[in-house]
Amino acid sequence: MKPKELAVQSFHENQKLLSAVNTVSIHTKLEMAGRSDLKGAETVIAAKDTLNVFFKELDVIVQRAEESETKLLLGVDARRRQFIRNFIAAKRNYRIQSPSLRGKLSDVAQMIYSDKEIDKQDILIVLEELRMLLEEHIASDTEVLLGGI
Amino acid sequence: MKDLLKQNNIALCYEIEKLQRSLRDAQVNIPEELKPYAEWIINECENFHRNVLQNIRYLEFGQEDILKNILSNTQNVANAFYILNQYQVSPILRAHTSDRLALKLLLWLHKTHSETKNIPVAVFDGEFSIWLIGPSIYFTPCTSQHGLLNLPLFFHEFGHLLHKCYQPEIDALINELQVAIGHLLLPPVERDDQYAQTQEKSRNVIVATWYEWAKEFFCDAVGFTLGGTSFAYAFSMYLRILGKSEYHVSKEGLARSSHPVTWIRIHLLADRARRTGYEEVASDLEEKWSQVAAALGVMEDYYGFYDPKFLSVIQGKLDDMITETGPREFQESEISNQELESSLISPVALLNKAWQKFIEDPDGYHEWEEDAIASFLDADLGTFLT
Repeated sequence: MKPKELAVQSFHENQKLLSAVNTVSIHTKLEMAGRSDLKGAETVIAAKDTLNVFFKELDVIVQRAEESETKLLLGVDARRRQFIRNFIAAKRNYRIQSPSLRGKLSDVAQMIYSDKEIDKQDILIVLEELRMLLEEHIASDTEVLLGGI
Repeated sequence: MKDLLKQNNIALCYEIEKLQRSLRDAQVNIPEELKPYAEWIINECENFHRNVLQNIRYLEFGQEDILKNILSNTQNVANAFYILNQYQVSPILRAHTSDRLALKLLLWLHKTHSETKNIPVAVFDGEFSIWLIGPSIYFTPCTSQHGLLNLPLFFHEFGHLLHKCYQPEIDALINELQVAIGHLLLPPVERDDQYAQTQEKSRNVIVATWYEWAKEFFCDAVGFTLGGTSFAYAFSMYLRILGKSEYHVSKEGLARSSHPVTWIRIHLLADRARRTGYEEVASDLEEKWSQVAAALGVMEDYYGFYDPKFLSVIQGKLDDMITETGPREFQESEISNQELESSLISPVALLNKAWQKFIEDPDGYHEWEEDAIASFLDADLGTFLT
């Protein structure tokens, strides 16, 4: 595929993910402040499901990448490889500080649904750091697609 | 920050509403085949509109700690809307009745597969490529949209859609292929020195490159499976005169390539044609590419990225990918086109007939093509073989 084709596919996938991150973050923050956002209840459930699937997939690929001696990620497309590399680098240089995001990602996948106050606080930090990585990743796609004025 | 975000969201809201009005106006005159795509785009605009109104509603809560998320959401909708506004609406706002030929073929193509039958299509000007964004936008050069000869190249692009539909399965097979190629690249004797480390790095570059290459080879295999010899002819004819880079790429260029050298793709296509009984077509393809290469003074050298010893393992994995994704397979009768008016039994038969006509009588071809296109456009999609 050509760079623009890869960029549009990557943008399309990650834009949905970023939207899910913001939906769950806003909903959790409103909830913790005692405000209910009943209008968005269905959207929040869908967003949590999206994130659950994402963290499960990320768990498998990151484990493979970290275990592989040669650091070759086989059977993974170029844009996703780049995201995984950025994710691992962000863990190494402590741009990712959340213990949950640095730990087992399949646990984060479950934590998304938790009603416990402590988990909610934890998940907000996870989502904040994931948002940072996603925005950076999307920025390189939009640069290819939209360029500058 | 709150006021700034409100201002931007209101501005976005106006822009979206303006586009929605343009789309509604344009929808009246677009070809029937484009309507499912137009509906998708209109829904997407409604989603953006809803998201923007949601942002405005969140702002009304006046809660400081959600402002960063609203900013992120606003940027996200703005980028998605700008991409839609810049690229995705053009096939509707610039629709032309001549789009029908490509659209009808693509609609038929999507209907041949259970995973793609409900995915809307659009066509627009550009180099051959596909945007997989929910519906599929197929890009093609302007003149290729109005004739039959280059249309089989869409079959390759359809391969990318199948890859997306079966990504976990195909990526697992690509992974296996990468491992197999890595083994084929191993030296007969392993050393433990600096030279061996350099060699390992080079091997890793080759193996990594093969993810993108395998995807393209898979799409070529899909192209041949669907279109038969019409795909091989279209592919070869379109690319063989595009210059030296189709025949040879430097070692550095190969290391960052998204596509295999076209000459290798011709070898694989020829091998596929040969294996399905089209020996003459296979030899013709290879001969023509050798002739141009000789005229350009190009010697075949892929710097270890490809070697004929890879062929059987590549074709084996490609066969597995074809089995996994199950694209419609051309029938011998669609290639031989012996029956009278048999070109109308299916779009594949029509495209193969076009290539036969062009090869036999290039001067009389265009007259025949005009009539053939008119008949195709009049035919009911339901009458074609699926």
